Amino acid sequence: MAAKPAPKGLDLDRVRALLLDSATVGLAVAAGAEGPILLCNDAFQALFPAVAEAEAALRLVDIVPGTADPAVLERLAAGDRHTAEVEVKLGRRRLVIAVEISPAIGHADGELMIQCQNVSKLKELEYMIDSYSKMIERQNRDLAKEKERVERLLLNIMPRRVYEEWREFGITTPERFDDATVLLLDFVGFTEMSVAHDPPKLIAELNDIFTSFDRIVEEFGCERLKTIGDAYLAASGLPEPNPEHARNIARAALRLVRYLERRNAISEVRWNCRIGISSKPVIGSVVGTQKYVYDIFGPGVNLASRLEPLCGPMQILLDDRTHELLAGELACASLGSQTIRGFGEQHIYRLEGTTSGERP
Amino acid sequence: MISRIVLSFYDRVLDSDVLAPYFEHVDMPVLIDHQTKFIAYLTGGPASISDEALRLAHANRGIDRAAFEEMRRLLAETLEEHGLEPADVDSVMAEIDRRAGLVVTR
Ligand code: HEM
Repeated sequence: MAAKPAPKGLDLDRVRALLLDSATVGLAVAAGAEGPILLCNDAFQALFPAVAEAEAALRLVDIVPGTADPAVLERLAAGDRHTAEVEVKLGRRRLVIAVEISPAIGHADGELMIQCQNVSKLKELEYMIDSYSKMIERQNRDLAKEKERVERLLLNIMPRRVYEEWREFGITTPERFDDATVLLLDFVGFTEMSVAHDPPKLIAELNDIFTSFDRIVEEFGCERLKTIGDAYLAASGLPEPNPEHARNIARAALRLVRYLERRNAISEVRWNCRIGISSKPVIGSVVGTQKYVYDIFGPGVNLASRLEPLCGPMQILLDDRTHELLAGELACASLGSQTIRGFGEQHIYRLEGTTSGERP
Repeated sequence: MISRIVLSFYDRVLDSDVLAPYFEHVDMPVLIDHQTKFIAYLTGGPASISDEALRLAHANRGIDRAAFEEMRRLLAETLEEHGLEPADVDSVMAEIDRRAGLVVTR
């Protein structure tokens, strides 16, 4: 017990008894916020060694900063308690001490009772929980990002509506589309091109071209289905119905050709394409049980793929039904009837451009 | 369980003459954050830190081999004291050893 000179009129016996009773709680009495510490117990001294070590009596405000703030003084004067947390360095340790200051009962001279407790362990726990929850938050964010990445990947191999059905029910059902148009694009003389012998360059070229194709078909309300080597398959009217499917595909086809023409004008590698278009029915479905791919099959795909080899470079061929659906909106040239394997006699048209003569 | 390990490890690091200087001017929340991440990271907890981030976090701290070894020793001691199986302690030690090159710069 480190006793400092006691002020007159304070019930020291009572205070002493309190101090003695509580060995773990630090207790002290100060002569006001800016007054000296008058007396304190061992526990208090253990937390604030400076109290015993300092030459002159330490003031309360030296130990608990902020005690002399007007708002705090006002509260104390009104008889209310003031609580604070003080960080002190004890050797290498940093301690957090919870301090409670209240007017000493029954004394109007402004003496203050100070109780304090070492709450470092609690604080450490609190910080640890903080740290942990931040880690978990971060992990959740990372997981959400990962999920998004996976979703983007899946949306690359199947249309959104099919993906949503698959996510919700775990399966997707094959669907027949009577009103859809299919486009199959292939490059002419691909195997003879010198770039075919430079795989990294070839992949870079195809990547660049197909990325632009994707942008174009999407812009025209079509869906890229897949690339097969250097071939590119797109459709409109599936899986979402679209009454404009034939026009969408025809316009996209013209734009694909124009894109290649422009690219060829400035690129060292020249790509010539052939495009076959058909509006016959197709089936759409996710295939594969291990590797999921949304794909389409059926007459539409077959006819488009038979028309495409009949093209000259940078030409677009249409089947009868697509031509009919375009209803004269885009200029076409009739190429007459031809026998096509699996389809018999088919009237074929070449897509030229818009009726005004310019390309879209 | 893991919280007791973290706090007990934190105490040991602060009591270590070798390690304390490294954390001399680090605030308590940051220090606890380090020990929490440190342990979570090495024991397969929810910490995900890339090797590059770990290297960056320690780049200018002048951590030497002795400090690393001390950290490693204290961690093993803490884990053993909290009743982890020797095999599990070993696998944590393998995790920490794998990162020595990212942390030790002197
Ligand atoms: C493989 C072992 C270790 C791991 C996994 C590890 C983990 C980490 C992590 C994750 C941080 C970044 C905290 C943040 O900014 O979020 C960090 C920072 C730090 N580490 Fe380590 N640490 C290792 C070893 C050490 C050692 C051996 C020492 C010292 C002897 C050390 C001292 C420090 C210091 C001083 C900081 C900076 C704290 C700050 O001010 O932000 N670390 N450590």
